[in-house]
Amino acid sequence: MQRRDFFKKLGVVAAASALAPSISFAGAPVSKNAMPYKEALNAITGGKVPTASSKVHLKAPEIAENGAVVPVTIEVDSPMTDSDYVKAIHILADKNFNARSIDVNLTPANGKAMFSTRIKLGGTQNVVALVELSSGEFLIATQSVKVTIGGCG
Amino acid sequence: MAEARKSLIKIKPKKFKDGEIVKVSFMVMHPMDTGTRKDKKTKQIIPAKYINSVKFNYNGKEITNMTVWESLSTNPVFTTYMKINGKGKLTVTYTDNTGEVNEKSKKIKPKG
Repeated sequence: MQRRDFFKKLGVVAAASALAPSISFAGAPVSKNAMPYKEALNAITGGKVPTASSKVHLKAPEIAENGAVVPVTIEVDSPMTDSDYVKAIHILADKNFNARSIDVNLTPANGKAMFSTRIKLGGTQNVVALVELSSGEFLIATQSVKVTIGGCG
Repeated sequence: MAEARKSLIKIKPKKFKDGEIVKVSFMVMHPMDTGTRKDKKTKQIIPAKYINSVKFNYNGKEITNMTVWESLSTNPVFTTYMKINGKGKLTVTYTDNTGEVNEKSKKIKPKG
């Protein structure tokens, strides 16, 4: 090997190692349930386009110091009667390996359409509340959450 | 039934009447491991262990059922509302991805 070639190869290696964080990220064990955001959204809505609505109140912190515990509360204005109720509330995080966090199926026996839990976020991203009404309509609300320490380490 | 986990059902307010809508929280001590994290000491991947289904049953009727994925926090809390409809029992059944099934119930006694 000539000196010239050696330096060329060295450059390639250096470039590769600079990219290493992203490579090791892809090489890390990925969950079986991994599903990107768009796919997850399609799987839930079945191709229907959700409409942004002020009826859905999504409460999440703007800045989460710890991504492992991010409290999320979703409230929907709905009478919750047998003919008009919230069928399901889905919580999605658009940059997690598996965008889906939880699917909650509600019934009129709940009396009030509200759900609250704590989720893990891998980094700064949007938390999405997707609400399915009994009429088959989909409503959506989004909020960005800034995460200073990731939760899916 | 596998090992019993520490869990808790909380109803707010504590005293309620028939027909009232109350807040119900279910908490459980569970690791919720995603299966992508490594143990810092042994460098081994911690296998996935997370709750994948939670069901709220009130007097034999299913009120709420949830499909849960691994991105819920450790020791998760599930909070929702429920309409009180006579004396009875609220049972929460939760299933694990490893097949662990557990149950927690609370008696419901409306006053007045």
